[in-house]
Amino acid sequence: MSRHLPVLLFLLPFLTALVLPMVGLARRAWCRPLALAAVAGMFVLALVNVAVVLRHGTTRYDFGGWAAPIGVEWVNDGLACLVMATVGFLALIAMIHAGPTTPPSLAGREAPYYTLILLLLSGLTGIVFAADLFNVFVFLEVAALSAYALVGVAGGRALVSAFRYLMLGTMGSALYLLGVAYFYAATGTLNMMDLAERVPALITSKAIVGGLIFMFLGLGIKMALMPLHSWLPDAYTYAPDSVSPFLASLSTKVAVLAWTRIMFWVVGPTAEIEHVPVLTLLEELGAIAAVAGSLLALAQSDIKRMFAYGGISHIGLILIGVSLGNPTGFAGGVLYLINDMVMQAALFCLAGVVVTQYGVRRLEDLGRLRAGDPWLMGALIVMAMAMVGFPPTGGFFGKWYIMLGALEAQDYVAVGAVVLTTLVTLAYFFRIFERIFRDAGRPSATDPRPVVPWSLKVSVGVLSAAAILLGVASDPLVSVLRTVVVPAGL
Amino acid sequence: MLELLEAWLLRPNFLAFVVLFLWSFSIMVTTRNLVKQLIGLYIVQTSVLFFLIAVSAKSGATVPVLLPGADPVRAVEYANPLPHVLTLTAVVVQVATLGVSLALITAMYRTYGTLDEEEILKRME
Repeated sequence: MSRHLPVLLFLLPFLTALVLPMVGLARRAWCRPLALAAVAGMFVLALVNVAVVLRHGTTRYDFGGWAAPIGVEWVNDGLACLVMATVGFLALIAMIHAGPTTPPSLAGREAPYYTLILLLLSGLTGIVFAADLFNVFVFLEVAALSAYALVGVAGGRALVSAFRYLMLGTMGSALYLLGVAYFYAATGTLNMMDLAERVPALITSKAIVGGLIFMFLGLGIKMALMPLHSWLPDAYTYAPDSVSPFLASLSTKVAVLAWTRIMFWVVGPTAEIEHVPVLTLLEELGAIAAVAGSLLALAQSDIKRMFAYGGISHIGLILIGVSLGNPTGFAGGVLYLINDMVMQAALFCLAGVVVTQYGVRRLEDLGRLRAGDPWLMGALIVMAMAMVGFPPTGGFFGKWYIMLGALEAQDYVAVGAVVLTTLVTLAYFFRIFERIFRDAGRPSATDPRPVVPWSLKVSVGVLSAAAILLGVASDPLVSVLRTVVVPAGL
Repeated sequence: MLELLEAWLLRPNFLAFVVLFLWSFSIMVTTRNLVKQLIGLYIVQTSVLFFLIAVSAKSGATVPVLLPGADPVRAVEYANPLPHVLTLTAVVVQVATLGVSLALITAMYRTYGTLDEEEILKRME
């Protein structure tokens, strides 16, 4: 039974997505509870899956009884199960949050809306588990198509962002597919385990190098790595406030996971192209993305856009961590990946509360938040601490292990990039707090004090607690990561 | 230089792929009309499929259906079904993308009354 968990994790949201439009036809009010139940079921299954993998080790699933490399294979290993648990948890929280923040213009269209969210989640589940390059492509597209539709679902300005996202995202998928075709032409196989035996010997071949570059470009667009990020800020800023937490926390990070799998489980961490280690290139790209992303965040005046650029800089930090070439750095990178998923979800949930309940979008209006509840400010402070990296939040420990890994690798560019990103992150959160606590824009007594629904309080509160818990529990988590996640040969 | 040219001319399939890919990519980035951009994107995707097929084409091979009496099986006589199945799947993905993008374009046209990208950006202000 436990062997089937990855497939069940995929089928639960996928089948619910298929059933939902029919249910919605008869009973529209059932759509949301049904979607919520499916996502809650996903979370429970993902937790069971973590327990199973930690106890019994990695399992592989052959579809249709066709053994790999002929059949399609899914791998349920430490990395996949931990990321899947995070995905399940954040999907549940974001789904709770999505209730009151759903734009009113969607009333009457709940069924297609929740169907899209569930399709997005099933696509992401597929990417997490897939151990087959082409399977990754298919699930990337399932997730991406739902994401394009979700960004544009409320119409208006978001349509243009959604279309741009679609153009760039589809270009990314086409490039990824081209890379897969190169790999297939060079090796005759698509299974990652099978490729891992053949690719290292062929690493000097132009087809493999070209394929690797194309796959990296494709996934780079999907993960919004710095020069390829231009779709992300608009898409996340104008997407409905209920959708942004899903996209911001899940989709780019899962693309990072897909790349990590290809880089470490197929190509191997020691790969060199013309005597240049691939990992060094990745780490430099990550350093550029981390610093430049945070500097761009500093320049923004729209809070959602600021958080979006913060997410772009954190993608760079994750890439630095996993590319340092030692287990400490890799574990730190994965820890930061999990933390960043939680932080992005929390930030966009907070932004959703601020935009929908207080009607504040721009930085200069943030003073109005002082009329609000203390819990909101508390959550914002916790999240700022996590983003900047103060102990005891998870953000601190993620950066700490990345720094340890960088020092171990004697890579001072990475150290400098992490320090600089931290300082600039502090600067842009300082801008937020300066706007809130400054006298100008003080709320007048007549300003309405919104009654925030409990579901928003729960989602923001739980995410803040999770950000602290990830820090408090980072020691056991890192030892687990070091034993089950770090790829062989690192 | 001459060797490179010769290598290119010996592989007209790949040359066609490169021309299709770059041409459609330039359509995608240079036109202002959203539908034309979409056509560019569609040809980019198609060119990648063309590459997949060009790699897997095998002259003189037949469909990979094992007929009774084909013993011993000689793999050389059959086309490899996998790249073709991949192409088929990728075509389905492409059609789905086309559907979503046309829906978005229709919604944009209804909202802004134009398909010109610059014009839409102007009307958004």
